[in-house]
Amino acid sequence: MFDHIERFYRPTTLREALLLLRKVGKHGRVVAGATDIVTQADRSSRFLIDINHLGLSYIRGNNRGCLIGATTTMAGIELSPVTIAFAGGILAKAASTCGSIQNRNMATVGGNLANASPAADTAVVLLALDAQVRVANSRRSRKIALTEFYSGPHRTVLNGELLREIIIPALPGGGRLGWSFQKLGRTETDISLVNAAAGLQIDARGRIKWARIALGAVGPTPLRARIAEDLLLGNTFNEDLLARAGEAVMREVSPIGDGRASAEYRREMSGVLARRALRECATQAGCKL
Amino acid sequence: MSDFHLDFIVNGEIKHWTIAPGDLLLDVLRREGYFGVKRGCETGECGACTVLVNGKPINSCLMFAAQAEGCEILTIEGVAEGEKLDPLQEAFLEYGAVQCGYCTPGMILSAKALLAEHPDPTEAQVREALGGNFCRCTGYLKPVEAIMAAARVYRQVGPSGARPKAERRSALLGKKR
Repeated sequence: MFDHIERFYRPTTLREALLLLRKVGKHGRVVAGATDIVTQADRSSRFLIDINHLGLSYIRGNNRGCLIGATTTMAGIELSPVTIAFAGGILAKAASTCGSIQNRNMATVGGNLANASPAADTAVVLLALDAQVRVANSRRSRKIALTEFYSGPHRTVLNGELLREIIIPALPGGGRLGWSFQKLGRTETDISLVNAAAGLQIDARGRIKWARIALGAVGPTPLRARIAEDLLLGNTFNEDLLARAGEAVMREVSPIGDGRASAEYRREMSGVLARRALRECATQAGCKL
Repeated sequence: MSDFHLDFIVNGEIKHWTIAPGDLLLDVLRREGYFGVKRGCETGECGACTVLVNGKPINSCLMFAAQAEGCEILTIEGVAEGEKLDPLQEAFLEYGAVQCGYCTPGMILSAKALLAEHPDPTEAQVREALGGNFCRCTGYLKPVEAIMAAARVYRQVGPSGARPKAERRSALLGKKR
């Protein structure tokens, strides 16, 4: 099992955790919910640093956006009145699909991002919400846009740093907004074969003023479908536009095939999920179809 | 390797155990004789190893035992009061909800957490609560019926003790870090 672990640290302040992280260097592993660490084959770590006691379990929301501590559990996000009310509740909805209740009582949102699974359910929602992450080492703290956070499958740009907070900026002002999270899995709480999140802002003349489409499990990292987003801007929502956006999404993704689904199926489903998500957004924003 | 000195509460009893820093909660509990905590998939899928940590169901196969420091654990061994079975246990027997029995401890603990939160659950809530507990004998109909029946008993006899009081924990353990 984890016979190589020499020491389990339980720091109680962020400062203490960051100093430990520096001390143990590449031999250390940060533990939040532990669910990914225990199920992964990597047993090389010698030191575990439990970050659950740093005061990083919180959700704070106001009209300027939302701040979520890294060790907030999926269950916490799923049940928080703040996340349920924010952006159509898509983050709460995504969190509620991240495994069984047992998993969701352990797994954290910071872990879901830092683990960097291409299929991470909260990642697509946070991409659609233009989220940033605040990361720190013992010397400095910096903010990274989530679009810049991933460097490959299960790889991030974190360099001896701790992901401490997720920053969701204020939602676009003016006009009407619509939001959607879509997931395709074998069961409701299974790992996603494909997932998608979208947001639309419709102006007073019925034109799309702002659009976000993010997809997971269809590329090396969770990704934004920027060509499809641009194609929507300035247009009135209709079936033809929806079809063209779906086509654009299918061209932008680069899925692989594995034991769960073929690359072709994932590509096809990326179009289906993007269309479903955009349709739900448009309906919420009051568009007539 | 430096040992980890784990102070926590299992089924209402204070425990001071010396464990390896990388030990998983499942392994530690079974080593100490809590065989009602079943070893199943060991990847957090099947729920056979479910225990309640501070009232919430978790997969003990995915949790480092050291993470449970200062917590209150409930395993199936702590659900009955002496010889007197919990209404959930009675209902599982009465409704024939136990076949091979391997999934039963996890199911009862998941149900206990549900009923502490929702004393009058809908059938959909019961099914959702059992989503992380696999039964490979036949199915879920009888456990669902049993839980609905136990909920009725719970509502008559008052709230269950599944949700421990934080004050009680800190009183028992002192303010240890």
